[in-house]
Amino acid sequence: MERAKMAEESLETAAEHERILREIESTDTACIGPTLRSVYDGEEHGRFMEKLETRIRNHDREIEKMCNFHYQGFVDSITELLKVRGEAQKLKNQVTDTNRKLQHEGKELVIAMEELKQCRLQQRNISATVDKLMLCLPVLEMYSKLRDQMKTKRHYPALKTLEHLEHTYLPQVSHYRFCKVMVDNIPKLREEIKDVSMSDLKDFLESIRKHSDKIGETAMKQAQQQRNLDNIVLQQPRIGSKRKSKKDVYTIFDAEVESTSPKSEQDSGILDVEDEEDDEEVPGAQDLVDFSPVYRCLHIYSVLGARETFENYYRKQRRKQARLVLQPPSNMHETLDGYRKYFNQIVGFFVVEDHILHTTQGLVNRAYIDELWEMALSKTIAALRTHSSYCSDPNLVLDLKNLIVLFADTLQVYGFPVNQLFDMLLEIRDQYSETLLKKWAGVFRNILDSDNYSPIPVTSEETYKKVVGQFPFQDIELEKQPFPKKFPFSEFVPKVYNQIKEFIYACLKFSEDLHLSSTEVDDMIRKSTNLLLTRTLSNSLQNVIKRKNIGLTELVQIIINTTHLEKSCKYLEEFITNITNVLPETVHTTKLYGTTTFKDARHAAEEEIYTNLNQKIDQFLQLADYDWMTGDLDNKASDYLVDLIAFLRSTFAVFTHLPGKVAQTACMSACKHLATSLMQLLLEAEVRQLTLGALQQFNLDVRECEQFARSGPVPGFQEDTLQLAFIDLRQLLDLFIQWDWSTYLADYGQPNCKYLRVNPVTALTLLEKMKDTSRKNNMFAQFRKNERDKQKLIDTVAKQLRGLISSHHS
Amino acid sequence: MAKTYDYLFKLLLIGDSGVGKTCLLFRFSEDAFNTTFISTIGIDFKIRTIELDGKKIKLQIWDTAGQERFRTITTAYYRGAMGIMLVYDITNEKSFDNIKNWIRNIEEHASSDVERMILGNKCDMNDKRQVSKERGEKLAIDYGIKFLETSAKSSTNVEEAFFTLARDIMTKLNRKMNDSNSSGAGGPVKITESRSKKTSFFRCSLL
Repeated sequence: MERAKMAEESLETAAEHERILREIESTDTACIGPTLRSVYDGEEHGRFMEKLETRIRNHDREIEKMCNFHYQGFVDSITELLKVRGEAQKLKNQVTDTNRKLQHEGKELVIAMEELKQCRLQQRNISATVDKLMLCLPVLEMYSKLRDQMKTKRHYPALKTLEHLEHTYLPQVSHYRFCKVMVDNIPKLREEIKDVSMSDLKDFLESIRKHSDKIGETAMKQAQQQRNLDNIVLQQPRIGSKRKSKKDVYTIFDAEVESTSPKSEQDSGILDVEDEEDDEEVPGAQDLVDFSPVYRCLHIYSVLGARETFENYYRKQRRKQARLVLQPPSNMHETLDGYRKYFNQIVGFFVVEDHILHTTQGLVNRAYIDELWEMALSKTIAALRTHSSYCSDPNLVLDLKNLIVLFADTLQVYGFPVNQLFDMLLEIRDQYSETLLKKWAGVFRNILDSDNYSPIPVTSEETYKKVVGQFPFQDIELEKQPFPKKFPFSEFVPKVYNQIKEFIYACLKFSEDLHLSSTEVDDMIRKSTNLLLTRTLSNSLQNVIKRKNIGLTELVQIIINTTHLEKSCKYLEEFITNITNVLPETVHTTKLYGTTTFKDARHAAEEEIYTNLNQKIDQFLQLADYDWMTGDLDNKASDYLVDLIAFLRSTFAVFTHLPGKVAQTACMSACKHLATSLMQLLLEAEVRQLTLGALQQFNLDVRECEQFARSGPVPGFQEDTLQLAFIDLRQLLDLFIQWDWSTYLADYGQPNCKYLRVNPVTALTLLEKMKDTSRKNNMFAQFRKNERDKQKLIDTVAKQLRGLISSHHS
Repeated sequence: MAKTYDYLFKLLLIGDSGVGKTCLLFRFSEDAFNTTFISTIGIDFKIRTIELDGKKIKLQIWDTAGQERFRTITTAYYRGAMGIMLVYDITNEKSFDNIKNWIRNIEEHASSDVERMILGNKCDMNDKRQVSKERGEKLAIDYGIKFLETSAKSSTNVEEAFFTLARDIMTKLNRKMNDSNSSGAGGPVKITESRSKKTSFFRCSLL
């Protein structure tokens, strides 16, 4: 077993030694160390030496064999070589001589050659230099160009030049010092371009803010002209018809179109395809503002990788400007120009944004603009609500409405939703109606205040026709009368009628362009007119009627006037129907309530006549100066009463144009008031005593009244109707003057009693006053039987009356 | 009824239509002015109480329509008037010329001892004046009547006019009463004037 192991080890060693020997043979001497080391690392170097010696002997034998083989050739070679040495020596001598000759004769040539060498060196240097310079010149040119572009403020081309310089030219010559300076400068230049562009943008923003007003104005004018054209095309504009207009088209600005030509740089590059005739008259937004700064700035920032920064800055600034634009001036409501300027600014702002939207790629987007418009719309509407509420001039409100419609139409053309504006216009319409009502309240007040409350006189056919043209009055009999003649009504009748029509026109005006249906317009007009009639005109009439010092003249004329105005209401109905083209039979049509107004006014005037007359009567009664203790009897009625009756008589005589029923009621009212007042005079507590003589004088006055009643001061009364006003007084006076107590007491309570209207309480009160008179003379009573008997009778009657009163109460 | 006044004076305003009679009365009784001309129909009156020499005087002032068609009615009031104001418009010469006609009416229909006064109204409208103050003054002197230029609008001389007329009536009344007293010893003198004067005379007699 040990032999087998030793044999195996010997094979391995032999292979190893063989490998080492091949390495020694192939490896150069520098690396033999490690090889030999590997021999000594093992422990078989003795055997290795044997192998090495063996191999050496083998190699020696081969060398020897080779030498033997080539011996003869070697000898021949040596012989040949010795011959050559002789020849060589000869050649050497010959060459030396030739060289010496050549050296002598070629000395100049060598000098020339040296010069030539120097020249060629110079030429190569020059060529290399030129090559270097050729490489550097474009860089310098480009840099110079960059500087020029910066100086002439053409920053976008400058930026392109700079980019080109940095990435194309400079890398080729980056090792030169001046190029390093350039490279160091580039960030600064880039920053400078950025800053200058931003400055340009700010100037641009300032510019569009400054010109917003003008831009908006021109856009509104374009919309106005377009509307005018539409109206012409339609021949007759319909209420509520929607207007459509071709939307402006913009070519998207192409940044690549930019060139380095100075002339081209000045061109904004906008291709305006609009070819409308209007453009020749009204300049567009792009004619008012140079948009190139924003385009250049946008591209500069895009190239610089700061586009997002630019977009954010632009939008932020424009939002700020929007808020400023949307801030209405504090006194905007005072004039239409205030509103116009406000609208122009808003329109101008959004026209610019719309332009930017269509001429740039992504600087602003639809969402951003819609968001801005949403804010603008709510702020505008809020401002309009606030400021329009201060308007008290209906013309201003109407002009404002037209302006708002134009404002809405203008922005609608640019694609902005404006429904909320039209909704708000309906609110303004209500306010407009209120403003109109206030204005017409003033109008009516002026008409009524300046009226002379006399029938309108006409002296010629021309004048007659003029009045009939203003007010729908038809009277065949009056028409036949010769001139001069009079209309029954005073001037305020045709004036009020015309003002009502003017009011209706004013209401109609507001409805134009509001996209309302005829039925809606008709309904609105009727409602407003009803308010005018039932509130405004009614209040005006009532104010006149209730005026402190209004006279009978005015009151009578008002009654006549309102009668005619009432009849004219049906013509107003026709008038409204004609201008709205809505048939009266249409469902839900509002009716006019004017007739009620005029009836109410007439009733108020009638009541006021009665009150007025009664007040005059009271003034006369205050002049009464009865001597309740008199024993003398005058032969005629009291002065004050005669004057009173004369006044009543002349009043009813001159107001013959008062309607019959009114005159009758007024006369009856006056008589009743007079009777009641006289009764109160007789019974009032201040009169403590009175004599029969005084009573008889009073009776004369009452007879004067009865005479007036019988005389028929106003036609139309039944025979004794008016006298009934004085019946109470008559019976009371008869009872006392005729001293008919037995009849009174005996018949009391009977239906056919002669003194049916004499109240026991009244009789007792009056009797007590006469009794006091008697008691005053009591000290003489015992001497006069007649007086004593009368006293007893008075006491008896008084007792009986008290009994009647008591039994009546129980 | 207890009287609230001492005397009742009835005054009458006459003159052409539109000269300002109603406006004068309105200014005096209500201290107000209405620019609109409303023609008076028939007759109207207002009452104002003034004080003279410690006496309460009730002035009942009748305002007449100047238009011809109401002449019959208005003339009936002349008899009862104690004082009459004849009014013309200084801007309307015709109304001044007609004062003579109005004076003739007074002589025909009024009491012979009625107090009279001429008023030239609208003196605030000097730029449209057609009748000089001197002519007005002369006319009044010719008839032995007092004269004043007034303006109901500017409230010029209105109070003065009415107070002057009332004072003159009072003076005349006092004179009559004194005459009555002095001749009272010879027997009662019947006064046919208003009842108020009669009553006053009666009380004086008692004293």
